[in-house]
Amino acid sequence: MATISEMYDVGWEEMRDKLRKWREDNCRNSEQIVDVGEELISEHASKLGDDVWIIYEQVMIAALDCSRDDLALTCLQELRKQFPDSHRVKRLSGMRLEALERYDEANKHYEAILQDDPTNTAARKRKISILKAQGKNAEAIRELNEYLEHYGKAAFCLEELMMTNPHNHLYCEQYAEVKYTQGGLENLELSRKYFAQALRLNNRNMRALFGLYMSASHIAASPKVSAKVKKDNMKYASWAATQINRAYKLAGRGTKESKCSMKAVEEMLESMQITMS
Amino acid sequence: MPIQLTSQAYCKMVLHAAKYPHSAVNGLLVAEKMKEKKKESHWEPVLCVDCVPLFHGTLALAPMLEVALTLIDTWCKENNYVIVGYYQANEHTKDSRPNQVAEKVAARISENFSEAAIVMVDNSRLRMSCFEPIVHIYDHHENKWKSREVTFDCFEDWSEAQKITSALLEGRSYESLIDFDNHLDDLRNDWTNPVINKSVLDLC
Repeated sequence: MATISEMYDVGWEEMRDKLRKWREDNCRNSEQIVDVGEELISEHASKLGDDVWIIYEQVMIAALDCSRDDLALTCLQELRKQFPDSHRVKRLSGMRLEALERYDEANKHYEAILQDDPTNTAARKRKISILKAQGKNAEAIRELNEYLEHYGKAAFCLEELMMTNPHNHLYCEQYAEVKYTQGGLENLELSRKYFAQALRLNNRNMRALFGLYMSASHIAASPKVSAKVKKDNMKYASWAATQINRAYKLAGRGTKESKCSMKAVEEMLESMQITMS
Repeated sequence: MPIQLTSQAYCKMVLHAAKYPHSAVNGLLVAEKMKEKKKESHWEPVLCVDCVPLFHGTLALAPMLEVALTLIDTWCKENNYVIVGYYQANEHTKDSRPNQVAEKVAARISENFSEAAIVMVDNSRLRMSCFEPIVHIYDHHENKWKSREVTFDCFEDWSEAQKITSALLEGRSYESLIDFDNHLDDLRNDWTNPVINKSVLDLC
């Protein structure tokens, strides 16, 4: 079977850089990580320098995702040899036990870490993951709340996330979706504002654009709003519709398949205009 | 009128679940619009000729679901299709029961098609060989969703569906499966999946 380097005509440096990019972006493309990482480790380990340890960790976790216990164990053993008393490696051992569904043993690992270091957030999160995997949702929620009390700075709420990441259009957009789903006129107006904000942060965010269109349209169609609010929202919706059509035209250039998508969008926007008026 | 799945519909559902093994996924099932007189025969199964993969990860947020439903509805009208069902694979492999999201979407579909069905994919039985069908089919009876026994009659041609799905799983075709989420990330991604549809046709 051809190697990755043969198939894609890449050298070991590119493979190493690809792995780094996937680490930085927190991608969970485990099959690819296993393919690239396994080859990198087996053929080029000596060239990787100190990077090799973080690569072992990354590949090990991906291997667990792909049921490759053989590979996971190999990586784990290398890490254990190099860092014999490490909590970080102990957590990886725990994750392997979780993958093998040996939850009680995994829990013991994490509790041992927490005995030594009660502030170890990684171990606490793994314990909650075990509860989730076992379907014990109520307990998982209880543990999560306890964890939040302990670590007040932990920002799980989207509101906290937005405050500390004001430039992140994704949190903004997701918050808008949550508000929209909660329903009611006030939440709808809030959601429209946050969709608009997400667009200001990234004017190519299609979800924000569609969201702005949907929320403004619904507000305009509501019998509870004043004539001015109705007029304003129709303007927002109309603007959004133009942008959506533009985006589809841009994407559809040259391909006849997306012509059908584009037509569908045009018709959808037209039909909603009718219900608004 | 019970629903029946073609190979294309079944395999795209399974590929969607396989593409995102750590997330919940969902999508819509479509059938060809029946001519008026055929509606009389209640024993005629409704053939789901295709499915449209919708989302992965968070399934429960309203705005994008609304957009998807409206868009796909328009597409259906152009192709003489009608949305007849909804499929979902839960995040938790051991849980294959329909939840509130599934029931809500199915209720919405029922407004246009009274015999709408929910198809739940049973992740725990997903295998490369596809030796058995891994779906549960739910029909709406007396205000409750009841599971129906899945036999080979639920498929237009089970051995063909099995052969094709297994081949596409082995070939990792799921890597190129496009769902509505992928489309929103990049509008050039085509949620009708013409490439995979062609692969299915080639294997028939």
